[in-house]
Amino acid sequence: MDTKRLLLLGVLVVAAIILVLVFFRSGGEEKIKEVSVEAPKEQEKSAEQPLQTKTVTLFFLSEEDSLLHPEEREISDNSSLAHLASQTIEELLKGSRNGSPSSFPDETKLRELFVTGEGIAYVDFSGEISDRHTSGSTAEIFTVFTVVNSLTYNFKSIKRVFILVEGIERETLAGHIDLSRPLLPRYDLVAN
Amino acid sequence: MLSLSQDLPTLRLSVKDFDTYGQVTIESTVPLSTHVEKHTAIFVVRIRADKHFVIRRESFQSRYIKSIGWARGSDYYMLTINVTDVDFIHEAANLTNPHRLIIDIGLPGMKTAEAQESSVSRARPSQKAPEKPKVSEEKPEETVRSERAQPKSENIPSPISAPSQGIKTIVIDPGHGGLEAGAKGRSGTLEKSLTLPISKKLKSIIERNLAYRVVLTRENDVDVSLENRAATANNNRAALFISIHVNGSPRKAAYGSETFFLSLNATDEEARRLAYMENNSSEIESRISSERDDDIMMILWDMAQSAFIAQSSQLAENIQTELNSLLGTKNRGIKQAPFKVLTGVACPAVLVEVAFITNPAEEKKLIEEDFQDRVAQAIYRGIANFLRKYPLE
Repeated sequence: MDTKRLLLLGVLVVAAIILVLVFFRSGGEEKIKEVSVEAPKEQEKSAEQPLQTKTVTLFFLSEEDSLLHPEEREISDNSSLAHLASQTIEELLKGSRNGSPSSFPDETKLRELFVTGEGIAYVDFSGEISDRHTSGSTAEIFTVFTVVNSLTYNFKSIKRVFILVEGIERETLAGHIDLSRPLLPRYDLVAN
Repeated sequence: MLSLSQDLPTLRLSVKDFDTYGQVTIESTVPLSTHVEKHTAIFVVRIRADKHFVIRRESFQSRYIKSIGWARGSDYYMLTINVTDVDFIHEAANLTNPHRLIIDIGLPGMKTAEAQESSVSRARPSQKAPEKPKVSEEKPEETVRSERAQPKSENIPSPISAPSQGIKTIVIDPGHGGLEAGAKGRSGTLEKSLTLPISKKLKSIIERNLAYRVVLTRENDVDVSLENRAATANNNRAALFISIHVNGSPRKAAYGSETFFLSLNATDEEARRLAYMENNSSEIESRISSERDDDIMMILWDMAQSAFIAQSSQLAENIQTELNSLLGTKNRGIKQAPFKVLTGVACPAVLVEVAFITNPAEEKKLIEEDFQDRVAQAIYRGIANFLRKYPLE
């Protein structure tokens, strides 16, 4: 009787463990990825940071044609996906090194960036991006899609981008492009 | 959750093919107040609703009906029935017990064989009558005031047997306004103060030459939300929606005119996902992944414009062609972008960027009355050409 009970208990415990494992495994594929990126980095850091860099491609509106042109930047690689993505946007805000005009109003800052399990990057900008926007459809299209393209192009797990302003969802930046849903990249705006 | 949905009024959509026509049935748990209207190859069904409906759909295959989408307006639901032939006509009947709207769609002279269903349908075309005046009552005030003269009907074919509710409307949307000035030129010109006069000029040219009345989304320098601009189109049952803008770019050199129509960008993927979740069958999943969105039998939209993309692109093309030849501005072509103001519009809709206010030479032109006249003229021709090719019933 007792052994039977013990056996049953054992089976239950094993089942519970399996369930828990399965739950976590299937739960957030994205999360697991992030963690596995982060974990080894932590060790490296403590072992006297061998400064690793990652090359990312940014997109800037060229003065020559009305298309986006890629420029490469090095960002430090010892961080999470959200941090890598943040650095990418920071670099984008710093502007082009080839004289392309900025698609962002002066003083625009990145407040926060996080990536959800479904691959949506939420990019939160300071109010300037909207309040000081020069407006005009073309200007707005390029502000929005330099952000979207620069993220989706470099990070496979970012599928879509949701732009926030001062932490909240905006209808548009300056009256044109719909920001009420996450955006897919527009590689047709990129020069070949 | 179950009990909740039982309390909510429910619409059940189904489609069935007969020999000569397809039949859409919209069954409801509450009496329906409806109106059906044809826009080329799309039939738009408006269902008055002060509450939310639960919408249940059955997937279908039909020779007559390509897809059905829906959108929710302020106090109505709108179903868009995409059909396979632009020449299709419809016969609608509101029946009771259960409450349902039956819409037969096919070529003129359809339904010889199945006299049964159709005779039932014809028996009681009752409920439509009380509702119709209510809807069209919404704005006669404004209409009468803003209408200078009854436009003459020359080149517009008069509707055959369509539930004629009089003259059709084109809604013109002067971009920005009030605190929202839009783009700014180097010498200080504001977009909002250019879009209004151009829109007014366009209005008067259209009303002089076409059998349409024109409603502007704003008559003065006031703020109007993007949602209300789209609502003006839908509430007036606009045949066309034209948003007038002046462009701006960080590139000083950028110049030329552009005509935009809506891109679904993120939304088509979203629609697929929702359609999949709603139907939740592996059969649907494989169909969605292998076919283009046009062919998905049932698409769930919260964007009325999705149904009109093809027509909007034609309208954009026609307008852009005229802008190019009349203005001699550089052709920047027709483009797509997810414009907020276009998403909710339930008719062919475009956004015209006349020229770049950020380009000093174009800014100078834009403030000239003569240039504004020519722009309005060009847009008018584009509209007229579109209407000639795709006459609306």
